[in-house]
Amino acid sequence: MAGLEQGRSDKSHTGDAMIPIRCFTCGKVISSVWDEYKKRAEEKKKELGTDDIEVGDILDDLGIERYCCRRMLMSHVELVDVLAQYT
Amino acid sequence: MNVDVIELSESRAQFVLSGVSSAFANALRRSMMAEVPSLAIDDVNIYENTSVLYDEVLALRLGLIPLRTDLDLYVLRSECKCEDGCPRCQVSLTLSVEGPKTVYSGDLQSSDPKVVPTETDIPIVKLKKDQKLVLEAIARLGKGKDHAKWQPAVACGYKNLPKIVISGCDRCGACVDVCPKNILKLNETVVVKDEIKCSLCHLCEKACESGAIKISADPASFVFSVEADGSMPCMEMVLRAADEIKKKAKALTKSLSGVT
Repeated sequence: MAGLEQGRSDKSHTGDAMIPIRCFTCGKVISSVWDEYKKRAEEKKKELGTDDIEVGDILDDLGIERYCCRRMLMSHVELVDVLAQYT
Repeated sequence: MNVDVIELSESRAQFVLSGVSSAFANALRRSMMAEVPSLAIDDVNIYENTSVLYDEVLALRLGLIPLRTDLDLYVLRSECKCEDGCPRCQVSLTLSVEGPKTVYSGDLQSSDPKVVPTETDIPIVKLKKDQKLVLEAIARLGKGKDHAKWQPAVACGYKNLPKIVISGCDRCGACVDVCPKNILKLNETVVVKDEIKCSLCHLCEKACESGAIKISADPASFVFSVEADGSMPCMEMVLRAADEIKKKAKALTKSLSGVT
């Protein structure tokens, strides 16, 4: 199914400190919707009581149409909070 | 040469360019991506950075933020008469933030109120307590061929104009089911709803046993889809791209006129 976000713990993944500003492939600015995407995804997780949610409709609504941009948000693991402990 | 606009807004455009060769269509596409200048942060003087990001990572993030560009007000550094930077070829933006706070592109203070980030909610870095960021960024005009941050066009491409011809349809409906773009509909015969959306995949041709449907592409017509990053309106970007081609052609004519 399109837009399936797997449940995961931040510790078992490598990731970026912050969401990349633009899509690596097409160059569209995708970071500006990150906060909203994260918020809606968390709400949906809470609502359904599971970490395995479909985020396709959220991405459509935020105007992220192409799959290159969609993977930027879907696969991102924010690590600033983890890294901040070591500075 | 003829242009039919299908969709036009500030950030995206779709138009059919017909009566040109594919070489010309590609020249226009490449010109939009690589030749139209736009403003982007190029140099960053970092006075204090105690955030979790390295200076160079921070500078790259700043560079990728699209800035609103008025090409009548600024000139390329290489074409400017000054020696090392003047208000005609560069803009200074400053940032001074103390944590705890997430720094957004909207926090950048520009020395020219016209040159501002196109979006104010791009996160730059998240600062924790006692972390601080003080810097000055210099934005300059540049071209996409030098760095992607100067590329005003995002996801810009074209395809040949699809042509769908149906004759002798036996109403089996196989093509309607198989079309991934859902542009075929079954009435008395199969009719085409939105020809331009066809991706020329030819699945309908394979599904049609009687060979009633024929897909072809017009080699002299191009459906352009253009998206701008916001630094300038889409319309202006396309026009400037055409101007750049004209400029190059003129320069070539000039240099050739010296040859006898």
